Amino acid sequence: MKAVVITGASSGIGFEIARLLSKNYFVIGIGRNENNCGRAKELMLSENPGAKIEYFIADLIQQNEVNRVADEIRTYLENNENLELYGLINNAGCVRSWYTTSEEGYEQQFALNHLAGFLLTYRLLPFITKAKGRIIMTGSQSHKGIKIHWNDVMLRKRYNPLTAYKQSKLCNILFAKGLNDRFASLDIRAYVVDPGLVRTDIGNKQTGYLVNLIWSIRKKHGVSPEIPAKTYEFLLGTHPAPKGLYYCSFKEKAYSRQVTSENADKLFLLSEELCGISYNRWDG
Amino acid sequence: MNAMITGASGGLGRVLATECADRGYNLFLTDINHDGLSSLKQGLERQFKVCIAAKACDLTKAESVDELMSFIDMHGIRFDMLINVAGIDYEGGFLRIDREKITKIIALNNEATLRITHDILLRRRPGKRFTLIFVSSLASLYPMPLKATYAASKRFLLDFALALRQELKNQDVSVLTLCPGGLVTTKEAMRGISAQGFWGNATTNSLEIVARKTVVYALQGKSIYIPGLLNRILSLLGRILPRSWAASIIYWRWSKAQVKWLR
Repeated sequence: MKAVVITGASSGIGFEIARLLSKNYFVIGIGRNENNCGRAKELMLSENPGAKIEYFIADLIQQNEVNRVADEIRTYLENNENLELYGLINNAGCVRSWYTTSEEGYEQQFALNHLAGFLLTYRLLPFITKAKGRIIMTGSQSHKGIKIHWNDVMLRKRYNPLTAYKQSKLCNILFAKGLNDRFASLDIRAYVVDPGLVRTDIGNKQTGYLVNLIWSIRKKHGVSPEIPAKTYEFLLGTHPAPKGLYYCSFKEKAYSRQVTSENADKLFLLSEELCGISYNRWDG
Repeated sequence: MNAMITGASGGLGRVLATECADRGYNLFLTDINHDGLSSLKQGLERQFKVCIAAKACDLTKAESVDELMSFIDMHGIRFDMLINVAGIDYEGGFLRIDREKITKIIALNNEATLRITHDILLRRRPGKRFTLIFVSSLASLYPMPLKATYAASKRFLLDFALALRQELKNQDVSVLTLCPGGLVTTKEAMRGISAQGFWGNATTNSLEIVARKTVVYALQGKSIYIPGLLNRILSLLGRILPRSWAASIIYWRWSKAQVKWLR
């Protein structure tokens, strides 16, 4: 049976993706809060008693948590040989009003929105390769109008929360491009979904007064997260594999001119250093 | 330049460690949290080409600090800078908090700070300037009901540091005391700041700016750094007002915020 790992799966877009995919796939959700994950699983099972869902708990901002949960998922997959890891959806993301750091000292938006997915993908790549699977990142239109601050990627010199978010979303597309440049020959494909403006709590979690207020107003104009969830299902389930990189509502969308192989390679190198890994050498 | 940072794996400690590593300082990091220290060491080594040593220590225990000093002496390490970040606070009125937690505030914020400062000053690199940084708080500037022990412990550090600065002036030691307002270090800190509404946000300081300016001002030999214009104004007002008036105003403000926050 095809399995899909979804990060940030206990609420928002991740939860709706899990709910939708649980009809046809074995869903492995990762969430930070055990109660929220439990509630999410109960809700899905109440709607669809036959659904196959497992939740794993991890705070993906911390790299040792990413590594731990990756090991747990790998063990789970090895113990359930009927499962093939066909999809990895790096959806977990956050917004912050202030410069805050992970335990490694990495800026939190960069750590969660980009590095967590980068590291998790590396850890699960052997399984995804075996299944000729697909990797999808949750991106955003706000990736446009920004360049990567190569000299200060954590934005310590002059932190701007919006710049940090936009940069992390540009990283999502650069990562997908880098994956396709490297692994297309193995029949793996990476995509980024622009979910549009969605009514989730991303702007309300661990943010300050202003961001919280603005997001509470903005999100009223957003769509329910079950709508963009369908695009993820489309990208996973369509054969032959869709050829584009950046999708919104099932259709290819134009993306930033900053998305070049050169920038993708630069980001790969930087991210490998920050995660202490090398995609050229799969020791897992 | 060799710098030691206590409380290194906490929110402020991490950012100060990053600032120092970015300046090319070799770092000796200590904290009670062993796992946090290893993660930070790894993260810093991956970003900067400096030497990082990390050793967990319970600064409130003399034996633990003795062990740390043996380790330092065994490796012949001598220091140019010490940043005392390690500190703790427990929210709530004096009688609402467990007795041992109350005394722990003093044990860590004050006693432990004196202990490590005494030991490290004796291990400074000979012939070079030594830079000492204490992390006090905006709370040190007036008595703070509902934060009484913490504020008093920070006042202790401020007074002690200013006095020490004079004692060590002729020995080429600069002493800076940092008095930040709110710092967004943890999820709880964020909640606490939100609970204070507009004023909470207005008196909050940015970690990355505070860390950078703290090091800069310490190297320049300044005595106090109060980040944020509003905080500096508040501190002036605090000095004009009689201390008991300041205490009642603060009690009025904090009791509303704490009800919301501790709910």
